[in-house]
Amino acid sequence: MVQKDGGGATTFYKRKIVNTLNLDEMSETETLTMTESENVESAIPLKEETQKENKMKYYLSIVIDKSKSLFFACIGLLLFGGFWSFMSSYTENELPGPVATLTVMQEMLSDPFYDYGPNDKGIGLLLVASVGTVLSGFLIGSVVAIPLGILMGASKTFKQILYPLVQLLKPVSPLAWFPIGLVVFKDTGMATIFIVFITSLWSTVINTSFGIGSIPQDHKNVAKAFGFSKWRYLTKILIPFSLPHIITGLRLSIGVAWLVIVAGEMLSGASGIGFFVWDSWNALSLEKVISAILIIGIVGLLFDKLFTFIENKVSYKA
Amino acid sequence: MSYLEIKDLEISFPTPEGKYVAVRDINLSIEKGEIISIIGHSGCGKSTIMNAIGGMTIPTGGSVELAGKKIKGPGPDRGIVFQNYSLLPWLTVYQNIFQAVDAVMDCSKKEKQEIVTNNLSMVSLLQHKDKLPGQLSGGMKQRVAIARAFAINPGVLLLDEPFGALDALTKGTMQLELLKLWNLSGRDKTIVMITHDIEEAIFLSDRIVVLNNGPASTIREIENVHLPRPRNKIEIVKMPEYLEIRDRLLHLLTDKFSVEDMGVVYKK
Repeated sequence: MVQKDGGGATTFYKRKIVNTLNLDEMSETETLTMTESENVESAIPLKEETQKENKMKYYLSIVIDKSKSLFFACIGLLLFGGFWSFMSSYTENELPGPVATLTVMQEMLSDPFYDYGPNDKGIGLLLVASVGTVLSGFLIGSVVAIPLGILMGASKTFKQILYPLVQLLKPVSPLAWFPIGLVVFKDTGMATIFIVFITSLWSTVINTSFGIGSIPQDHKNVAKAFGFSKWRYLTKILIPFSLPHIITGLRLSIGVAWLVIVAGEMLSGASGIGFFVWDSWNALSLEKVISAILIIGIVGLLFDKLFTFIENKVSYKA
Repeated sequence: MSYLEIKDLEISFPTPEGKYVAVRDINLSIEKGEIISIIGHSGCGKSTIMNAIGGMTIPTGGSVELAGKKIKGPGPDRGIVFQNYSLLPWLTVYQNIFQAVDAVMDCSKKEKQEIVTNNLSMVSLLQHKDKLPGQLSGGMKQRVAIARAFAINPGVLLLDEPFGALDALTKGTMQLELLKLWNLSGRDKTIVMITHDIEEAIFLSDRIVVLNNGPASTIREIENVHLPRPRNKIEIVKMPEYLEIRDRLLHLLTDKFSVEDMGVVYKK
């Protein structure tokens, strides 16, 4: 592409030297020719076959790239599986091996939505419960964190008031907030949502305020020079510029929230994937524990992929 | 009373070491339709004067008056082309211009759309209207920025080193492009531009303002360029007046012209 553009500029310039060094003689038609000559693709149309070939090559290179990374990912998984099998035989099957675990996991996944009372539910139902808790806490957290971050990024005073507080509370394990949640809400479910809420705040607040705070002077000058209203500044400059930062904050937040929910449910005993891990350990079913670990990992990965996707959607090239 | 009147302009900034005077005693009367270049070394306060006209900086002394009215802030009567294009990277070429027109102009949406389309076709970018700035070359970006400044139909155009980041060939094209727009708009737009390029200043301007080195720069000299318009790049460089002006400007801006001036004994 770069090459083509360069070529375009040269043709463009040559033409102008020849035709129109004396500017005031430039006529409408010449202006039109300029426009055309600049678009190289129309000026020198590629043969249709070469175009097709190029397209094929392009798609082929993508397929090769993708299969390569898939191949290497498989190598990583195989190495992990090998190590796992080794550890399993080393502990004389006290730690269940991959085959035993996958059999149990398949069983769990074959009927994911059964419900035999509060302490015996299908893995699907448990996941739904955990994801629900995480999403509610994360949603409330984000609704609080984004405006807070915007305030901190836009106003120095607000930053001076809030930033020390953020620095003080951010390193605290969210589990430490659990008793506070219990006292305030008198309900373990609510308390679990509360700790997810606390967890979801920090990365979003910090990233949002950083995004808003780093709007380049150039963009502000545009708003100033062309007399943008507050609303236009907000919707055309502030939000588009800081959105990628905000989404990064959200992605980090939901990652930590998903980390915390497992420990949170172990503590609260609320029905969910974390409680399932603890319950399976008490029932001495390590196969279930490891299966749960794998499932937790996959769901976390999906969350991350989802936000990376949104991040790519809203990012821009300067 | 001229169209754009700069009187005893002084601009200073507070610093920890005390007041820093960027420019002082700037007096300049600019007529409607004139093209003025401000030239000087880096840091001599060229951009500061420009910002005062643009209303981005408030003078600490003296005044800048446009059509008899004191400038107190940015306004739609002045279009600014920034040094580094300053396009919004998340908006398309079309939207970059439309948002400025929409913010400034007071007319129907259809008329605004027409204004944007007209200005885009004037800089030959209509077919690129749906591209993002990141997909454009430097010269194309600068054309969008110029089209944006023209689109709000200001009386004064302020260009801060508009072609400084462009390669020599593109620069030549852009200078013509600017004159084309100036001609198309009936030559009644006043253009004030900052440049480092002596040839560019002579080719484009009616008058060239040479500034002293900062801090506290003043106007060193104002050079009148009486070369007839339309100017032809190949023709004017052969004119004696062109050569005179270029020599005078070179002497004003530099004092060394050969390694011998730098104390090097050149062995033949």
